[in-house]
Amino acid sequence: MKRLLTTIWLVFAVASVALAQRAITGTVTGDDGEPLIGATVRAKDASSGTVTDVNGQYVLRVPAEATAILYSYTGFATQEITLGASNVVDVVLVSGIQLGETVVTALGVSRYKNELPYSAQKVEGNDVSNVRNSNIVNSLSGKVAGLEIRRNNTLGGSSNIILRGNKSFTNDNQALFVIDGVPVDNSNTNTGDQRTGRGGYDFGNAAADINADDIESVTVLKGAGATALYGSRASNGVVLITTKKGSKHKGIGVSVNAGVNVGKYDKSTFAEYQKKYGQGYGRYYEDPSGYFLYRDVDGDGTEDLVTPTSEDASYGAPFDPNQQVYFWDAFDPSSPNYGKSRPYVAAANDPGSIFETAFGTNYGFSVDGNNDKGYFKLGYTKNKDEGIMPNSRVDKDMINFGAGFNMSERLNLFASVNYTATDGLGRYGTGYDAENLMGNFRQWWPVSVDVQEQREAYERTGQNTTWNWADPTATVPIYWDNPYWTRYQNYSNDHRNRYFGYTGLTYKITNWLNVTGRVSLDQYDEIQEERNAVGSIDLSRYSRFNRNYRELNYDGLLEVPQMNITDKLKFDALVGMNIRKQDIASIRASTNGGLAIPGLYSLSNSVSSLLAPTEVDNHLQVNGVFAKAGFVWDRWAVLDLSIRGDQASSLPTNNNRYYYPSASLGIIFSEWMGENRSAITFGKLRFNYAKVGNAAPPLSVLDAYRLDAVYGDASLAYLSTTKNNPDLKPESTTGLEGGLEMRFLNDKVGFDVTMYKTNTVDQIYPAAVSRATGFAAKYINAGEVENKGVEASVFFRPINTPNFSWRLELNWSRNRNKVLSLGGELKNLQLASFQGGVSINAAVGEPYGTIRGANFVYTNGERTVGDNGRYLFSPTSSEIIGDVNPDWIGGINNTLRFKNVSLGFLIDMRQGGDLFSLDLYYGLATGLYPETAGKNDLGNDLRLPIAEGGGIIMEGVKADGSPNTTRVSATNFGSYGYARIPAAGFIYDASFIKLREVNLTWDLPNRWFGNGIRGLALGVYGRNLWIIHKNTPYSDPEEGISAGNVQGYQGGAYPSVRTFGVNLNAKF
Amino acid sequence: MKKILFLLLLTGLAYSCDKDFGDLNVDKKNPAAVPPGPLFSYAQKELVDVMTTPNVNVGIFRLLSQYWTETTYTDEANYDLATRNIPQNFWNTLYPNVLNNLKECQRLIPSQDPTFYPQEVQDNQNACAEILNVYTYMVLVNTFGNVPYSQALDITNIYPQYDGGQAIYDDLAIRLDRAISSIDVSADGFGGSDLLYGGDMAGWKTFANSLKLYLGMMYADVDANKAKSLVEQAAAGAITSNAENVAFHYLSSPPNTNPVWVDLVQGGRKDFVAANTIVDFMNGLSDPRVPIYFTTDAAGGYSGGIYAASNNYSTYSKPSSRVTGPDFEALFFDYAEIRFLLAEAVERGFNVGGTAAEHYEAAIRASIEYWGGSPADADAYLANPAVAYATAAGDWKTKIGNQKWIALYNRGFEGWTEWRRLDAPTLNVPDGLTYNDIPKRYTYPVQEQTLNAANYTSGAAAVGGDDVTVRLFWDKQ
Repeated sequence: MKRLLTTIWLVFAVASVALAQRAITGTVTGDDGEPLIGATVRAKDASSGTVTDVNGQYVLRVPAEATAILYSYTGFATQEITLGASNVVDVVLVSGIQLGETVVTALGVSRYKNELPYSAQKVEGNDVSNVRNSNIVNSLSGKVAGLEIRRNNTLGGSSNIILRGNKSFTNDNQALFVIDGVPVDNSNTNTGDQRTGRGGYDFGNAAADINADDIESVTVLKGAGATALYGSRASNGVVLITTKKGSKHKGIGVSVNAGVNVGKYDKSTFAEYQKKYGQGYGRYYEDPSGYFLYRDVDGDGTEDLVTPTSEDASYGAPFDPNQQVYFWDAFDPSSPNYGKSRPYVAAANDPGSIFETAFGTNYGFSVDGNNDKGYFKLGYTKNKDEGIMPNSRVDKDMINFGAGFNMSERLNLFASVNYTATDGLGRYGTGYDAENLMGNFRQWWPVSVDVQEQREAYERTGQNTTWNWADPTATVPIYWDNPYWTRYQNYSNDHRNRYFGYTGLTYKITNWLNVTGRVSLDQYDEIQEERNAVGSIDLSRYSRFNRNYRELNYDGLLEVPQMNITDKLKFDALVGMNIRKQDIASIRASTNGGLAIPGLYSLSNSVSSLLAPTEVDNHLQVNGVFAKAGFVWDRWAVLDLSIRGDQASSLPTNNNRYYYPSASLGIIFSEWMGENRSAITFGKLRFNYAKVGNAAPPLSVLDAYRLDAVYGDASLAYLSTTKNNPDLKPESTTGLEGGLEMRFLNDKVGFDVTMYKTNTVDQIYPAAVSRATGFAAKYINAGEVENKGVEASVFFRPINTPNFSWRLELNWSRNRNKVLSLGGELKNLQLASFQGGVSINAAVGEPYGTIRGANFVYTNGERTVGDNGRYLFSPTSSEIIGDVNPDWIGGINNTLRFKNVSLGFLIDMRQGGDLFSLDLYYGLATGLYPETAGKNDLGNDLRLPIAEGGGIIMEGVKADGSPNTTRVSATNFGSYGYARIPAAGFIYDASFIKLREVNLTWDLPNRWFGNGIRGLALGVYGRNLWIIHKNTPYSDPEEGISAGNVQGYQGGAYPSVRTFGVNLNAKF
Repeated sequence: MKKILFLLLLTGLAYSCDKDFGDLNVDKKNPAAVPPGPLFSYAQKELVDVMTTPNVNVGIFRLLSQYWTETTYTDEANYDLATRNIPQNFWNTLYPNVLNNLKECQRLIPSQDPTFYPQEVQDNQNACAEILNVYTYMVLVNTFGNVPYSQALDITNIYPQYDGGQAIYDDLAIRLDRAISSIDVSADGFGGSDLLYGGDMAGWKTFANSLKLYLGMMYADVDANKAKSLVEQAAAGAITSNAENVAFHYLSSPPNTNPVWVDLVQGGRKDFVAANTIVDFMNGLSDPRVPIYFTTDAAGGYSGGIYAASNNYSTYSKPSSRVTGPDFEALFFDYAEIRFLLAEAVERGFNVGGTAAEHYEAAIRASIEYWGGSPADADAYLANPAVAYATAAGDWKTKIGNQKWIALYNRGFEGWTEWRRLDAPTLNVPDGLTYNDIPKRYTYPVQEQTLNAANYTSGAAAVGGDDVTVRLFWDKQ
């Protein structure tokens, strides 16, 4: 009876509530002004709820006594609005982390971030595109914990992208790029010479073909646990890019974008010049002082002073405006100074005056549409960038098309096609090469030469009228060309056509089983042409490099989407196969013996008969099968298990299959706290273990001979100096990871900390061997590298209201890398050797990337000098003198929004890591920097002869430990540079703190325009605006030579460029 | 369901194509097999290039022997071998490029079809390879001292032991004898693949005997009996005129040009001038070869830059256009050298016929003629009391040493070797160094220190320390 009464009472109560209802209507929009489709609207403490329609509008019936409504949407903070008198409530949701946020994981599977049992970090598309970097890799710097980017300052140059440290001795260590599930090649096709500082151009890395405007979001999968399903190629982590798939609003949307930017070189990253001493190497020329050539130029029968034009150093005579001297232009018949002497003073325009204002434009549009049948998008972006060097530009045209169509309830078809054309002209020369003017300006430069006079000479004559005549009587260049001749005559150009995309279908066999088939293609053809004009220092030459890259992937997937097995157990599963075919073919050809006809850059214009070009034809196929199962128990325990097997064509046929498993566990301990968790909003512990197998590079199993150029009629053949190995087996990487993720105070504060350890064993690499074996290297299966580290990201959102929000995000990581073994008794693997007698190495017991070279001799920790007062050198030049690995890297990302204006800035940091500077190794020797022309401890000009109070005392001690008191002469070149100071004296700490990005965006109020325009945003941004702190004199600590395993070396470094831009975006 | 079947089929397909799959690993652009001839050609060219090049990264022998000096960048003239890893670059050419390809060539000789390559041809081919092996190992010993020999060129042993220089010499002498006796001058050798003689085995026999004469004389101060027997056996078969010089004829177009042209002319560098050491010495003797060896200086005469000091390029004489010509030949052995060796043999009491003075004069005549001087030039020169054998200053070692050094002008390595062996001429000493600091050997490659450490250490100890001032086994004062 009592039960019946209760029931009746309840029925009445419900009925009375139902009777006293009110209908609330309104629109839900995102903070970008777009209406949100499908946002959840529900009454607080009541059961009623609805979702918004395609216009973001809703109608919600709530009980009369309802006090508040909750609005939520994926990717936006849930908002609570207290109900007042009005029945119309319009809400603007602020984007940010939210409980239901999803991230895209391996193979494009979308998962709730909260349920991920491994580390993954997401970057929004806006954060990648708003400062309009032309290389997407650079846009990720400082934004993801554990992701180390090393950029180069050349226009369109390559950037190195490493997750959790270098793992492989000699294979590519770059993270894998995957766009919408399709692996996209990120090759660096620079020559071996370019990568080891010998010279050549940096043509960039292929990921620069990705259109930042097409990116919806980027997820970085860091550890093997997250990437195991991708197989071996993902052992270095994955940068997963999800492209835009049609907008959230109804109908067709059109967006137009246009922007312009300008850049100036950062003077703190370029050389400063002394202005006291002119051209020469010392006092051994012709006139009585020894500083000048002594020729009768004007024919008056007496000898005149002539600057030693052949000399590329600044250890000449002290400047004296009262002294008349003949300069290089006195021997240039076209010059107004022809045959005339001039006062002997420093140049008015130093080499910094060669840098022009970089100028870039970008414009593009996108059209997209979306309805319940499918979506489409079409985008076009054009970038034009002119660099700071004369005659340099890189243009890009990018077209993206994507569509999905639901044929039926069960069948979905999708496709995407992307085309990127890159055109480069006059890329900057790099390394130790006549085409790299930075080597000239930073290492071998007489400060008496005026760069603008060189420009005028080139413009006047169109010839190689150089300051560096072999002799006043032989007006041909000796070591250096006119810098403008170099830029306008000895230039490269390149072009790349790239197509990537995919097509496939998904069929829902039953409610619990989908099948997906997909074919994807990444293909490009590229040409790189280089030229040296007749009349240059280097032999005139034309060379071309053609390369075709093609990768086809065939994927088949059977997928059981996450489903409830019981009300406590959720389950998902995946079985799939992948066939990957990679074909790389290239041909490099060059003229032989010079160019017959000046100005014609063609292989047929070779003086001597053409030599056979270098051909490469590499093929790789990997067949993979994989399976994965996922379990979620009672919302707090998540378990993922996976296994993959691969068969690789690059391994010996009898041993080419290998299998590797992974297991990941997540414990969402905040679920144990029940509903009442305002202090700790979320907490999760993660553990995972994974192993990833890896195959050999193609063509490392079977031996082949090489052919050399024929000698007359005789053909020449030789053994490859690398011995291949028919007994190779797969190498593998084992990763262990643990993490803790917590958020507090309704997601106002949170952190995510991960610790990991990865070991890469049985490495397949060509181990250097004693050349007395007849070989330089032998492929072996040995060695182990360990990477251990911590990654942390912390966010604060102290203020988060529709009118004002502030988000602060910190990323920090440290990686400790150690080469545990190289196999057998091998103790050192040289990765590259450089000019300056230094090398980059993997040495047992040391981090990967130690710098070796000649060291000082230390006595009680002090640099020791010999009897002659100069530093003693270590007996060998193979001492470890530096380590390129940073102690830690970090980024601070701030986003402030006030009504329609948002301000973001990023501070990017690196602590530690060494680099060797060839620029100072030579430049201090040749006396162009101010410190070589100052005062000594006596207050006298240090370049004076010792007898006149000059000379310097090198800081250090004598062999007996007493302070050095021996004064040495600094009159001739060399005292501060390479000949007198070992390489260790030119190792610098590459730490930096940079204001990397600033952007200010103003969403113009919609009421200002008519109905046609849905939104108009004006953005102002800056890149690399301020180096807050660095320890490398005259250079950018980030500058290197190229992307790849060899870092920590500067030679002919380019300055960094401060860029300011404006961008206008309109939506219709 | 059909689709699942299709997928399974595809997977199965991928796994079943094993045969084609393995073929992906076959290099399609490089040969899996070659005949021995092209390997022999390659080894020959690599050997002659490395012995001839003046490139500062590899071949600084013209500086060590003070024929040339540097202008602005004087590190190598001051005996800085380390910065550019010069010993390593030299070693790395001789072992993998020369010796290993000779070994591979010898491995392939017996696999040729005997119908086309009968036994006597194969024996001749093997003899050619052996002669170059002996020459190359001799150069290695003469550069470093003890080097890997008995365990060298075996990739299954990546830590090859160092053998004693003299022990290597002993084996080389045996191998050389065996090669000489196996030559059949009526049969072909490598034919067109032989870049030195085009398969003419009589030429190889002369080469081998000249080499044997040279090798024998290297023993003179350490094993006089052995030297005597080798020299006496070889003397008759060695070069008898400039026409028989063992010369490698470079071609006029790259990449088969004279390496001196490559570096000085094609490379456009202006790094070298003649050294005052040789120019002053030759000027003092009014040597007719001066204008053939050198260009005129800024003043119209002949002068050399101060050895190892900074020198103004335009002031001094440079190597002549003959030496820097693109097709100028490189010499393994020449007639002048053989006659100098015979002069020395007579002085040492070896039975080779003639008098020391006759051989000495013939050597100088041969050199002057080789370089294009006239017999009258030679007569006038030999009439100079400072040149004539009877009246020239010093003992026979000094007389022969001085004139041989002049004759070996374009052969820096031999110039340096004979200076070490004969202790003449007197070289200049760079500022801040002593006479003893002038290198008498190369230090071992840094790579040997890191990749073959234990053997390097014992090898270095056995030669008396890995130092440039250590004398090699045949180098007695």
